[in-house]
Amino acid sequence: MTRTYQTGRPIWCAGCGHFGVHGAMQNALKQAGVELHDTLVLAGIGCSGTVQNNMGAYGYHAMHGRVLPTAIGASLANPELTIIAAGGDGDGYAIGGGHLMHALKRNPNLLYVVMNNGVYGLTKGQDSPAKEVPVAAPEESPLDAMMLGLSIQSTTFLARGITTLSDQLNELMLKGLNHAREGKGMAFIEVLSPCVTYHDTYPEWMNKVYDVDADPDYDNSDRGRAFLNVFTLVQQNRIPIGMIYHGEHASLQSAILPEVTPIHALDQQHHEQTTQHMEDVLSAYAV
Amino acid sequence: MNLQIHDISAMVDKSLLQGTVRDDLTMMVAGQGGDGSLTIIALVSKALLKRGYYIYRTSNIASRIKGGHAAAFLRASKETRSNLGDHIDILVAFDIEAVEKASKQLAANCVVIFDSSRGALPPGLVPDTALLIPVPFSRLAVRDLRRDLFKNSLGFGLMGRIIGLSDEETETCLRTHFKKLSSAQLEPNIKALHQGQAFADKAGVVGSHSILCMPHRETDAERIFISGNDAVAMGFMVAGGRFFAGYPITPATDVMNFLARRLPAVGGVVMQAEDELAAINMVIGASLTGVRAMTASSGPGIALMLESIGHCGSAEIPMVIIDCQRAGPSTGMPTKPEQSDINMLTRGGNGDYPHIVLAPGDPEECFYGGALAINLAQQAQCPVILALDAVCHDNFTVPRFDLSRISIDNGKRIDETDLEDMEEYRRYEITEDGISPWAVPGTKNAMNLVTGNERNEWGRVTTEPEMRVKMVDKRRRKIETVKGQLPKAVEWGDSSSPVGIIGVGILGGVISEAVVRMAKQGYHFHCHRPRTLWPVLQDTIDFVNTHERVYVVEQSEGAQLASLIKSEGARAENIVSILKYDGLQFSTAELVEIILEKERKL
Repeated sequence: MTRTYQTGRPIWCAGCGHFGVHGAMQNALKQAGVELHDTLVLAGIGCSGTVQNNMGAYGYHAMHGRVLPTAIGASLANPELTIIAAGGDGDGYAIGGGHLMHALKRNPNLLYVVMNNGVYGLTKGQDSPAKEVPVAAPEESPLDAMMLGLSIQSTTFLARGITTLSDQLNELMLKGLNHAREGKGMAFIEVLSPCVTYHDTYPEWMNKVYDVDADPDYDNSDRGRAFLNVFTLVQQNRIPIGMIYHGEHASLQSAILPEVTPIHALDQQHHEQTTQHMEDVLSAYAV
Repeated sequence: MNLQIHDISAMVDKSLLQGTVRDDLTMMVAGQGGDGSLTIIALVSKALLKRGYYIYRTSNIASRIKGGHAAAFLRASKETRSNLGDHIDILVAFDIEAVEKASKQLAANCVVIFDSSRGALPPGLVPDTALLIPVPFSRLAVRDLRRDLFKNSLGFGLMGRIIGLSDEETETCLRTHFKKLSSAQLEPNIKALHQGQAFADKAGVVGSHSILCMPHRETDAERIFISGNDAVAMGFMVAGGRFFAGYPITPATDVMNFLARRLPAVGGVVMQAEDELAAINMVIGASLTGVRAMTASSGPGIALMLESIGHCGSAEIPMVIIDCQRAGPSTGMPTKPEQSDINMLTRGGNGDYPHIVLAPGDPEECFYGGALAINLAQQAQCPVILALDAVCHDNFTVPRFDLSRISIDNGKRIDETDLEDMEEYRRYEITEDGISPWAVPGTKNAMNLVTGNERNEWGRVTTEPEMRVKMVDKRRRKIETVKGQLPKAVEWGDSSSPVGIIGVGILGGVISEAVVRMAKQGYHFHCHRPRTLWPVLQDTIDFVNTHERVYVVEQSEGAQLASLIKSEGARAENIVSILKYDGLQFSTAELVEIILEKERKL
């Protein structure tokens, strides 16, 4: 067997939430029985953007903020791959914020995991878009990505976990991975993943989380009620976790992929067919 | 005093209507956007192409949906051209502004047809020797057909008479052009066409006495009439391109439109992204899986993509980027041509990274260049940029593309069978030719890491000084490896002349015509049109250094091409820059005048 790269030792500080996210991702791949060579893990820039080095799958270190468009391109070009996109809340909600809403709108078959620590760790502690009370701009409200996701009508899988509740996180991660692999669309999981060095929120967040999975009155299939419930909880200074919304909508792939997908449309036979086809197209330009 | 046809009863002087046989004719149709100027030019183009002429077609439009002044032009000639003639021989003006705009370019013996619905033409706008034909287009179209919309068909009918087209030719043309219209929509257009012909007949412009006759010509090779944008998209598809992502921008959107219509039929995907950053990163994603992928944009969009282009140069990700250059900086003049992205395309981005920039000069080169770019990107595993100028939106008559010439070269792509004999797979293996074997996701036993950070051979991030130097050097070597395949410059003219002219892209055609004219006046030049901008090829440097004086003609204020070749070793003292940045194309007469003025002063 050909040897390939050795997985890296994580660069994260001892106690960093990202260890838990990494573990949940690996666990989900294993549980779902996905081969590592059929998996492409794309990650952004920042502490979270090193997770692909530790997985043993195909890994790509994306441009800062661009992990979602890149993942979408890959998922369309070769829909047989299992695509996991990952990044921090800076990568996903600040520099890449524009791409997030368009990805949610498109509903591509991929799993997107945001490791939210409310801070820019790698550049040493600046406010991130999800910081509860930004130091530099205390009048700004934090961005709540679950509410953003709920407001877009083509989202199909919105969930939030916290690294300290690993059973729930593992379950959400596996469900999300399967959702994407089964062609149901984009699974968006935000994981509260505290930064022990610059923004240690373990005790604070554990006090604030509200598990909607444990609430028998919470209906994660009703977008309108979910939105109202999440909004109310946020107003009460709580952080809803669990399966926030689970619905159905056509995926990007089901809507636009041709019968023969790009990855298979390159062989010699297709080259000849294309040439034949293009002769006809060219004839329309003939004088 | 101009000869005028004041109304149908007043016949024009028959002596002026003696048919003049022409083999080179420039025509302009202009009015407010929506008047149908582009349609008339398209129809006349079709008819004259059928007659065996080479057509060059361009337009001058405002950056807005409706209205604004719109002008369409064509030049019909017996050889291929890439610019308009010096003077306008026929002008169809739907308003006075059109005549004002064309005024300075009108030929002494031109024909001016203007819409007289809103009154006569103010004096002094057209040469005294011009033939004026006032036609109440709007009034006729509204009176008889109840729609202003039909004045283009009416104008085409009249025009057919002036250049001596038969009734059959004009009607066939109109029916083919409007073949998608329902008969309820088509018939009024046919009626309008007949009305235009009847108007011409009553005015005494009879077929056999056509004013500027373009007779049938024999043609040799099979020809097509196409824009650079369509040609480059076609080259992409034939060479196996299967993924395109873009964001609408003038004048590059045609590439996306072409592919959106046709790529899915061959198993491809087109994505309209939310911005240029998303577009190029979708292309990166597709490319990572081994699919041949491309994006197209214009200056402002390319500026946004620049970080990603450098990233791909470093991360060794193949991709093709089309830059349909327009007048900058920033938004600049979206609908006007320029060649002022050369600095950005050759030297832009942060850090040093390998890439290739090609500059096709006509749609034929766009097609073969587009196909070559896709293969080169795969072979060298780096970004390849095609720098188009006005060639992107202008239509040219060129020989039909030979699709059988295009083959697919996968470079060093490897699969599971190749891996069987490999003890170890390293994505960024240091090789002599600078190119590493490439296995894509889905391949067993070849898992690897791709990153824009500096890295070791396995793709693990490193800042170790020795490895850094090895990696940078490896990436540089691959350009040397493929250099032999990069298109060399085209040279023509008098090779013994000590005076040279250099121009890229669409300017090749203008320079060609100019040197023929200057030769007649006893001035001889040796011409050189580089087709690879980056890396700068030695033949261009040698050309400058072996001539006493070289005019570098370009459409930018910053003399970007001249600076580029100087920086790569061309002697600065040999170079004389000729620059144009008013948003208009060079005319041959203008270029001849500038060069001869400089030559005479010596």
